[in-house]
Amino acid sequence: MELDAFGPALDRWLDEHAAALAPDRATETLDQHMAQLAKVKRLTYDAGFMRWGWPERVGGLGGSTILRAYLGEALAGRDLVEPGIYSMTETLAPTMIDHARPALAADMVPRLLRGEETWCQGFSEPGTGSNLAALACRAIRGDEGWRVTGEKVWTSLAQYAQRCVLLTRTGAPDSAHGGITALFVDMDSPGITVRPIETMHGAPEFCEVFFDDVDVPFGRTLGQEGQGWSVAMDLLPFERSTALWTKAAYLRRRLQDLVEVAPADALDPAALGAAVQLLAAFRARSRATQYRLATGEHLGPETSIDKVLVASAEQAVYDLVEAGLAPEVLLGDDAGPSRWRSEYLFSRAATIYGGTAEIQRNIIARRLLDLGADR
Amino acid sequence: MDRAELALFDRTLRGATEAHSGAALDAALVELGWHEALVDDRPAAVSLLFEHQGRTAVTSGALDDVVARALGTDTACAVVLPALGRAEPPAHEDSGGVIVDGLGTPRLLRTDTALVAVRRDGDGDGDGDEGEAVAVVKTADLACRPVRGMDPDLGLVEVTGAPTAAAVTPIDPDRWDGAVTGARLALGHELVGASAAMLELARVHALNRIQFGRPISAFQAVRHRLADSLVALESAHALLEAAWLDGSSETAAMAKALAGRSARMVAGHCQQVLAGMGFTTEHPLHRYVRRVLVLDELFGSARSLTDALGRDVLSRRRLPPPLPL
Repeated sequence: MELDAFGPALDRWLDEHAAALAPDRATETLDQHMAQLAKVKRLTYDAGFMRWGWPERVGGLGGSTILRAYLGEALAGRDLVEPGIYSMTETLAPTMIDHARPALAADMVPRLLRGEETWCQGFSEPGTGSNLAALACRAIRGDEGWRVTGEKVWTSLAQYAQRCVLLTRTGAPDSAHGGITALFVDMDSPGITVRPIETMHGAPEFCEVFFDDVDVPFGRTLGQEGQGWSVAMDLLPFERSTALWTKAAYLRRRLQDLVEVAPADALDPAALGAAVQLLAAFRARSRATQYRLATGEHLGPETSIDKVLVASAEQAVYDLVEAGLAPEVLLGDDAGPSRWRSEYLFSRAATIYGGTAEIQRNIIARRLLDLGADR
Repeated sequence: MDRAELALFDRTLRGATEAHSGAALDAALVELGWHEALVDDRPAAVSLLFEHQGRTAVTSGALDDVVARALGTDTACAVVLPALGRAEPPAHEDSGGVIVDGLGTPRLLRTDTALVAVRRDGDGDGDGDEGEAVAVVKTADLACRPVRGMDPDLGLVEVTGAPTAAAVTPIDPDRWDGAVTGARLALGHELVGASAAMLELARVHALNRIQFGRPISAFQAVRHRLADSLVALESAHALLEAAWLDGSSETAAMAKALAGRSARMVAGHCQQVLAGMGFTTEHPLHRYVRRVLVLDELFGSARSLTDALGRDVLSRRRLPPPLPL
C-alpha cells in the first residue's frame, strides 16, 4: 500500500463514516475523550487503516510508517481524536515491537492498536524530572521474577491503563544510565496504586503511580537487564516524529476553527501571520523527519529542533486563542469555551512535558552545535 | 542533477563564492555553468548559490538573473528591482513613458541597458492595456545613486528617472508573481546562509573565549542563545525547502518572512555572544548584521509579509493549504 492509494481511500472512508466516527461534544471530559479514542481506533482497525504501517508480526498489514503519519493527521485534523492521547500508541507500540519478546509483542500490540487497551509510560519520578537517568524505582531480582517498589509521577492515563512500560533501577543506586531496566507491567498487579493529579487545565490525565512489592515476571523484561536506558532512548524519536506531526495537524485544525469564529478585530494580524508561518515551518521540518523515519534512518538529537518548534507553535496558536476569544476563554462555562480554555492552559505545558524547552536546548547545544559539556 | 552532481556543483559554488565577489563572481558563475543550472534545476541553482553567497557575504548579479529569467529574458542583464520594502514592479506607465523608482545591484552600473518591469494602469476599460509589462531602458537615461547606507559592501544602486523605453512588452500576469517568488526564495536562502555564518562565528568564539576559568560555551545563557539561533535558521531552511516543493508564491512569501525574522534573531543572539569583539570592524560579524537588515527589506520585509499574511487569513477566514505529506 502506497500513500497515494492509502490517502484517498482513507479520506473517502472517513467521509462515508463521519456520523459513526463523530465525537459527542455535549461535555468535554477526559472519560469522553478516552471513549472516543477507543471507538475511533476500533473502527479504523476493523477497516484496516489502523493496521497499515505496522509490521505483520504484531497484527499490522506492513507498509511505510508514512501511512501512520497520514492516518494521525487525518484523525486529528478532522477533530476525531485528541492528539496527545492518540499518540501514546505511536510511542509505546514501537517500543514493544523492538524490545519485547516476539510472542509478547504479537499478543499485546494488537490490543493497543484496536483500542481495547490503554498503556502508560512510567518514566518520571518525584525526584527525577529532567534528570531521567537518576530514577530510583527499584526492581529486585527474585526467583520467579522482578519485585518492584517505588513511585512514578506524571504518568499519563495510568488510571485507564491495563499495562505500563516502566523504567526501573536494577543496578546500584548510583548506576545512572547503566543500571536501568525496562519492564512491561500489568496495571492490575497487586501492589499498584494509581492517584490521578488534578492539573490546572482540568483534565486529570497525569497520575502518581505507587508500586509496593509488585511482582513482574522475567518474561516481561523489555530488552536486556541494564539496557533500559537505550529502550527509553529508542522511544524518544517516535515521540518526536509521528506524534508531533499529529499534534501539529490538530493545532492547524484548531487555528482554522479560531479564525472562523473569532471577531475580525480580535486577532492581531502580525501575530496570526507569525503563528501560521511557524506551523508551516514545523510541518515542513517534520515532513522530512517522517520520511527519514520511514526509510529507516536513525533519528537522533536533531529531533529536538522539531520539539522546540512544535512547542513554540502550540503556544503561539493558543496565545491567539486567548486573545481572540477572551470572553469565551475567561468567562465561558459551556462545553466549547471550556474546551478552548483547557487547551489554552494545557499549551502552557508544551515547553515542559516530553523534555523541557531547556533540556531540548541543552541537547541542541551539546549534540548539534558541539559546544561541549555545560559544566 | 543526481546526488553526486549536486555535491560537485555545491563544492564548485562554494569555491567560487569564497574566491570571488561582484563582477568577478558573475564571470565565475558563467564559467561554471550556473546559468545552465538555473534553467535545468532552478531549486538547486538558486538555493546552493544564494546560501553560499549569504555565508561568504559576497555580492553578485545572480538576483538580476533570477528575476530576468522569471520575466522571460534569457540573457544575463541588469534588472531594476523594486524599491526598499516593495514587491510591485519598480516602474509604472505614465502618458506614454515609464517612471522608474527602484533599486539595482552593482551590475546596473556596469551595463548600458536594464530590464525593468512596468505596472500598467491602463485606461480602466478592461481592453488589455492594464497589467504588467517589461521594458528595456538605457541606464544612461536613469539617475543612479550608488548607495552606501547600512551595508556599503552590498553596492546597491538607487534608480529613478523617466527613461525613453524602446518598447513596453506586456507579459503574462503570473510572470511578475513568478519573479517575486524566485527573488524571495533566493533572498531567503541568502538570509539563511548569512545566519549560518553568524552562528558559526559565535559558536567558535564561545568555545575559545575563556572567562571565569572556562569557555563561555559552558554557560547555559550562552548555549541557549546559540541553540535558539540554530532552531531559527533550521526552521527557515525547512520552509524554504517546502516552498520549492509546493511551488506556491504563498509559501515562498512565508519562507522569506521567516528567513528574515530568523536572521534578525540570529544576528541579535550572535552579536550578544560575540560581545565586544563582534562590535569591532576587525571582526566580520558586522558585515552580516548589516547585510541581513537590508536583505530582509528587499521584496518585502518579514514584518510586512507576516502582517499581510495575517490580514489575508482574516479576510478569507481560511489558513493557507498545508504542505502535502
